Amino acid sequence: MIGTHLLTSGIIFGLSIGSIYFLMTIGLSLCFGLMRIISLDQLLYYSLGAYVTYSVSLATGTLWLGILGGVLVAGAASRAVERLVFRRTYQRELTFSMITSFGILIGGVGIIKYFWGLVPRPVPVPIAAQLDILGTEVPVYRLVVIGIALAVYAGIWLFLHRTIIGKAIRAGIEDAEHVEGLGINVHRLFTITFVIAGSLSGLAGALHAPLIMVDPQMGLEVLAFAFMVVIIGGLGSIKGTLVSSLIVGQVISLGSLVYAPLAQMAPFAVMLLILLVRPTGLFGSALLKR
Amino acid sequence: MSWVGATIVRERTGAAQRIRASAAAIVAWWWGLVLAFALLASLRLFLPLPFLNEVVIFSIYTVGCNFLLGRVGFISFGQPAYLAVGAYAAAFYLYYFGNNAYVGILVGVAAGIAVALVVGPLFVRLRSDYFALINLALAVIIFYLMQKVLADITHGDNGLWFLTRLASTPVLDLTRPDRFFIFACLVGFAVWAFYKYLDDSVFGACCLAAKVNDDKLKFLGYSNFAIRLTAFVIANSTTALAGAMYAVYLGFVSPEITSPARAADPVVVTILGGAGTLYGPIVGSLTYTGMKDLISRVMVNWELVVGFLIVFIMLAGERGIWGTLQPRLQKLVRRMRAGTGADSGGERR
Amino acid sequence: MRNGRDILTVSGLNVAYGESKVLFDVGLRVRPDEIVACVGRNGAGKTTLLKSIAGFLVPTSGSIASDDTDLIGVAPYAVARMGIKYVPQDKKVFSDLTVRENLELASYVTKDYGWDRITGYFPKLRQLMDRKAGYLSGGERQMLMIGRAMLGSPKLLLVDEPTEGLAPSFVAHLKDVFLELSRTTALVIVEQNLPLVCAIAAKVYALNEGRVVAELSDRNEIRPDVCERHLQPTPGNGPGARAR
Repeated sequence: MIGTHLLTSGIIFGLSIGSIYFLMTIGLSLCFGLMRIISLDQLLYYSLGAYVTYSVSLATGTLWLGILGGVLVAGAASRAVERLVFRRTYQRELTFSMITSFGILIGGVGIIKYFWGLVPRPVPVPIAAQLDILGTEVPVYRLVVIGIALAVYAGIWLFLHRTIIGKAIRAGIEDAEHVEGLGINVHRLFTITFVIAGSLSGLAGALHAPLIMVDPQMGLEVLAFAFMVVIIGGLGSIKGTLVSSLIVGQVISLGSLVYAPLAQMAPFAVMLLILLVRPTGLFGSALLKR
Repeated sequence: MSWVGATIVRERTGAAQRIRASAAAIVAWWWGLVLAFALLASLRLFLPLPFLNEVVIFSIYTVGCNFLLGRVGFISFGQPAYLAVGAYAAAFYLYYFGNNAYVGILVGVAAGIAVALVVGPLFVRLRSDYFALINLALAVIIFYLMQKVLADITHGDNGLWFLTRLASTPVLDLTRPDRFFIFACLVGFAVWAFYKYLDDSVFGACCLAAKVNDDKLKFLGYSNFAIRLTAFVIANSTTALAGAMYAVYLGFVSPEITSPARAADPVVVTILGGAGTLYGPIVGSLTYTGMKDLISRVMVNWELVVGFLIVFIMLAGERGIWGTLQPRLQKLVRRMRAGTGADSGGERR
Repeated sequence: MRNGRDILTVSGLNVAYGESKVLFDVGLRVRPDEIVACVGRNGAGKTTLLKSIAGFLVPTSGSIASDDTDLIGVAPYAVARMGIKYVPQDKKVFSDLTVRENLELASYVTKDYGWDRITGYFPKLRQLMDRKAGYLSGGERQMLMIGRAMLGSPKLLLVDEPTEGLAPSFVAHLKDVFLELSRTTALVIVEQNLPLVCAIAAKVYALNEGRVVAELSDRNEIRPDVCERHLQPTPGNGPGARAR
């Protein structure tokens, strides 16, 4: 029987992992929903966010400046990529964006290696303090991460439901051609969405950095997990992404309490089961196109 | 009586013509394959053996991925999964049971077929993006299985070593690299002949049709599911074959072959060579392995080159090296043939 | 053949989807405040024609011009901003947004918040403002689509099969709306409902297998039976000549 101490810290740990995954995968979900592309390069913006956080926080001494830097650089990188690569290719089939974004991700690993070298680096945690919750010591930083993720979710929700651009994006997720017929420049919507996605992925990397070591392959290593979250939640659904990242976070965390070797694998098994029942994920929209 | 005689003469010349025609057809069908593998084998004179063995096995590894993408329209980021299935199945046999390399390879292929039949029915129903990623998920699952969960029998990251256990095999001693190369080329030849046959068959046409417009195919009475499942099993059995060959060639297997970082390899080679072309995997494999060798001596930053190469190829028309060369070569050959009067009948390579 | 007075001039239009040609040498002219109808059987190319005018498809050859401005190659959103609005088939509205939000989107682009005009045409919309568009009936959706397109006082509306699947009372209502609208806006209506279009259109183009087979501008000729005659499939050869 797992004691409440372990359980509490396990749940908090799972929530913080889930928060990181959520931030990492909103971008993927949004890009698919609106532009019908698979943007594997989001994992590159995640890595860039982590690495820039590392460098800036080393240079300035504050992690929070580092995180800001990470988000900005990730956003800038995503804007450049959108302009150079995706802008002309939105109409192509899904496999095109999958392979091309994969190429960008791999090339990005190379760029990271060039600037930062091969060796994994640690990033200092800004808040070393621990809080006592239900008799367990919980790192405050993890609680902050959870808080930020919740704030982002609320922010995205407000953006999509209360601003005109957000409503246009929601309309575009249903039918982008139709939105264009109203006179709205959907290309600008695409760019805005892509940059938001990249910035959020960068935020995920920036926040994750103090919890792990940054290394050039980190984007590739986390690729499978990111996609698993998106598939379980269903591509294109923000709510689905939130739910599935929570699930995955808990499965990994609590699973490792039960039987460690299986913990990393368990989410994939969950995904397989879910896909058996619902081939488009929990909340995903069924697309006619293959 | 003369007209009987004339008929007999006509029939005899007719038969001779028919024999000549079918001989010509046979030559036409096979000459591309023979030429390709003769060229490949001749590289033995210029290039080191380990490199060439790697290239041949890698080509077989990639041909399944190429077939799936080019003919069926599905990209899979998880080919390492099936490579590992073939490799580990062969390894288990060779480590725990026997020492015959031929049998090991057969075991690997059988395992590949079995796994493909088990997961195939679920996987091929999925949309193309989910398909790509669920294969990746399978690769990760197998990675963890071999690395941690089944570490007792797989020895985890240390891998299974059985090089010393391998016995010399009759006909071609697979424990010797140069004999292995001959074996690999023969296997490759057989595999390519098989895929060429598929291409030309009704099944191949169905696959293409399923890729382009599966609704129409359904209306024609074909089952998309059956076509996709068959293609899936064929492609991944080939991949498992490559895995088994790797195992036998290297004499050991470790989880590293299915690590997420390795998922890129077959995709890159497929795109590089040209998806959907018959010889694309060989060209791509040669180029990729060669580039890797050369470039990693100069730059550590090997990924930069690969990444930009992929993006460049995709933006420039997705045809890859062989995909661009092949139509031009074909035109050249036709023009030469037209010059000499014979016509090959538009053989697709 | 450009007439400065025409709100829309299409000539020699050829459109293809990849390898398959859909429109062959299509031409039409629309004057301001005129209702022009485009009739034809399924697959005749009517929707393709409207989509090409709206900028969603690029023709292989031919010209499309409005008020002396060439429309070919102009992005669909720019065409819409020029005052040419496309109202698609299938009654597609943004289901997750409310009626109010649907209208807001259109108002945002056109800077036209004069919703009273819209609810003047479609009073029912006033009650449905806060309902999610996905829960509207077919007729209500059509009202929303047309109402949305009216914002910004477009000079030309391209309407694709508005009465499909609607109850007769709705159809009659729409007929009045179109007549009223045409005082300020030109309309190109694609329809299969011949009695409706023959009642309101000043000109009817009959499309058959991608070709304009008849142009009826004489009031006496704009009758359902005349249209039917022109829309008979041409026996034998595909590329049939004009039926007249």
